[in-house]
Amino acid sequence: MEEVVRQHYADHEKQEIFDKEFLPHIHSMYNFGYRLTLDRDDAKDLVQDTYFKAYRFIESFQKGTNAKAWLFRILKNSFINDYRKKVKEPNKVDYQEVESYYNSDDVDRQITPDLRVEALRDMIGDEISNALNALDVDFRTVIILCDLEGFKYEEMAKILDIPIGTVRSRLHRARQLLKERLSEYARSMGYKNT
Amino acid sequence: MSLPNPFPLNNGKKATCREMLQVILDDEASTEQREYFKAHMEFCMPCFKDYELNFAIKQLLQAKCNSVAPDGLKEQIRNRIAQII
Ligand SMILES: [Zn+2]
Repeated sequence: MEEVVRQHYADHEKQEIFDKEFLPHIHSMYNFGYRLTLDRDDAKDLVQDTYFKAYRFIESFQKGTNAKAWLFRILKNSFINDYRKKVKEPNKVDYQEVESYYNSDDVDRQITPDLRVEALRDMIGDEISNALNALDVDFRTVIILCDLEGFKYEEMAKILDIPIGTVRSRLHRARQLLKERLSEYARSMGYKNT
Repeated sequence: MSLPNPFPLNNGKKATCREMLQVILDDEASTEQREYFKAHMEFCMPCFKDYELNFAIKQLLQAKCNSVAPDGLKEQIRNRIAQII
C-alpha cells in the first residue's frame, strides 16, 4: 500500500474537488452499491455514507488522481464493514484451488458447450441482470469493475485489496459462472444443446 | 506469414488460448497482442467462438446492468455534508 500523503485544502477547494471529481461518478457508484447490496434503499444509504466519508477524508485524496477508484474502494469497504454482516454470508471459495483446476483450456470448453450467441440475442429482459445478481458477491464485483466500469487489473487490485493474480483468476471464474447461469436460461428458453 | 507472439511466456511455455483470450476480454491487451489474437482467431475456431460469445455477454451486461442514481440523491448528499461544514 502506498503511503497516504495528507493534503491541505481550503473549504472552497474541497467543494470543488467534491463537485467536479467525486459527484460525477454518482451513477456508477449507485450501480455498484446496488449490485453489492441487491437492494435499492441500501444502495442509496451506502452511496450516501460513501460520499460522506469521502468528504470527511478528502485530505487523503490527491487532487487530480483517480477519484473513481478511490471512491469505489471506500464504497467496497463500507459495504464489507456495515452491510455484509447483515446479509447471509455465502460460502467462501478457495481461489487457489479454483485457479489450478481451471488452468486448462479443455476444462473451460467443456463447461458451457451449449450457450450460443443467438440465445443471448433473445435475452432482452432481466435475464443477464438476474444471472449477475445470482453470483457470489466476490465474483459479481469483479465483473462489474471490469466489464461495466472498465477498471484495469491494477486498479481492481487496489479497490479490492487483493493481488493482481487473484483479480485475474477471480475474473476468469466469474465469467465461467456467469456463462453457466446464462446457459440455464438458454435451456429454459428452449435452446437445445448443440 | 506469422507474427511473433507478443504474449508473455508462462513458466517457459507460450501462452495458451485461454490465457490469450482472458487478456483480451479483460481489456488488458496491447495493440500488438490484439492484432496477434485477431490473426489467431482466423484459424482457431474455439477461440473465435469463445471470443464472440464472451464479447456478446459483455455487451449485454453493458446494455442491461447499469442503473441511474435516483433523483435527489445528490441533493441528499450535499445536505448531509452541509451539516458538518
Ligand atoms: Zn486459440
